[in-house]
Amino acid sequence: MHVFIINGSPRIKSQSNTDKILEQFTKGMSENGTSFEQYEVSDRKQWDDMRKAFAENKNILIALPLYVECIPGLLIEFLETVEPKTDDSRIAFILQGGFAEGIQLRCGEEYLKILAGKLGCAYAGTLVKGNNFSIRFVEGAERDKITVPYGEMGREYAAKGDFSSEKCKKFTGPEVFPAPIRLLVGILFKTAAKTGLNKIAEGWGCTRPLDYKPYS
Amino acid sequence: MVLIVNTTSDHSITDELKNSLQDKGVDADIIETDSMRISHCIGCNFCWLKTPGECSIKDDYEIIIKKMIHADQMWVISDTALGFLDHKGKNIYDRILPIATMYLKFVGDQMRHVPRYKMNTEMGLIYTGEPEVEYLKKWNARMALNFESKSLGVFGRDELKEAVSCMCL
Ligand SMILES: Cc1cc2nc3c(=O)[nH]c(=O)nc-3n(C[C@H](O)[C@H](O)[C@H](O)COP(=O)(O)O)c2cc1C
Repeated sequence: MHVFIINGSPRIKSQSNTDKILEQFTKGMSENGTSFEQYEVSDRKQWDDMRKAFAENKNILIALPLYVECIPGLLIEFLETVEPKTDDSRIAFILQGGFAEGIQLRCGEEYLKILAGKLGCAYAGTLVKGNNFSIRFVEGAERDKITVPYGEMGREYAAKGDFSSEKCKKFTGPEVFPAPIRLLVGILFKTAAKTGLNKIAEGWGCTRPLDYKPYS
Repeated sequence: MVLIVNTTSDHSITDELKNSLQDKGVDADIIETDSMRISHCIGCNFCWLKTPGECSIKDDYEIIIKKMIHADQMWVISDTALGFLDHKGKNIYDRILPIATMYLKFVGDQMRHVPRYKMNTEMGLIYTGEPEVEYLKKWNARMALNFESKSLGVFGRDELKEAVSCMCL
């Protein structure tokens, strides 16, 4: 199998969490000899080649970050310019987001089913996973903890050509967190997480409190 | 104030709205984006972590966000593509992020961002073309929830009367 992959993130490749996810995913996917070509929607210079590859390939995979409950505006802009397929192409998606619970991604997932049809492709499923916000802020073992599990999903996809397996469905994790966990995580949000974010901001040269209100 | 952001190049919709709202005595502010420069969101996160509340892209979107914060309602008029909003319509929502802070909390059983402003802007949507209407309704409600707002509903070009009936203060 040869797979045409689009990273649908508007973030440049070096900063993109989707890219780090794809790195591990494609590593696992390639193990059985599956080949791939990967493009970035964030780089408009690639759009002509992407349109061509979209027309030529039958196994399409779009990996994308959830943007306000659906797909990013920039990815829509690109897809508005492709010719819907009329062959027996299949499209699968990796939908990843910042919020941690599965339920946060379901609205986006629902659209991807619609999108497959609009693009003239059979729907080969969506791998759904949240809690990816921090990928680009961490390195080494901390990053691996989040991204390496996608390798196994790459192997699943290479074996079946879709994301229909139980393993892929389970990969999402809990739809919502149970109340005691919410209580605990809620405390973390007000303490350690806040400190961590303030530290990142400081490193970026931020001189204002993160809840600063420039327009009031 | 009712803020109306028309991302289509069809001004007949806003002309109609202007007239109806004048008749009703509703204070409306109409923005036509076809003559404005509005980029997509590039996901830099500067609005959360470097220049809190301010977008790094210095284009005309700032005009919209400044008004949105003080509006009672925001209506976006959008063309559709691939069953959903076209990119111009969706960009208006993607660029909203500066109104939220990076901080998180739970609302009910789900995570949300702590809002930057005390605002009560309800969100309505008017579309042209042929989207998957049921999906669009669901999305608008979910999007509004995400920003701790309320959906005013989703209306087609031929349902402007119904939309106007929701545009009151
Ligand atoms: C404009 C914008 C909107 C976002 N909307 C959501 C959202 O609705 N739900 C969510 O869980 N994450 C949301 N996120 C977070 C991203 O999906 C998440 O950080 C993702 O890992 C980014 O991947 P990337 O670096 O490849 O772009 C949003 C991020 C941005 C910049």
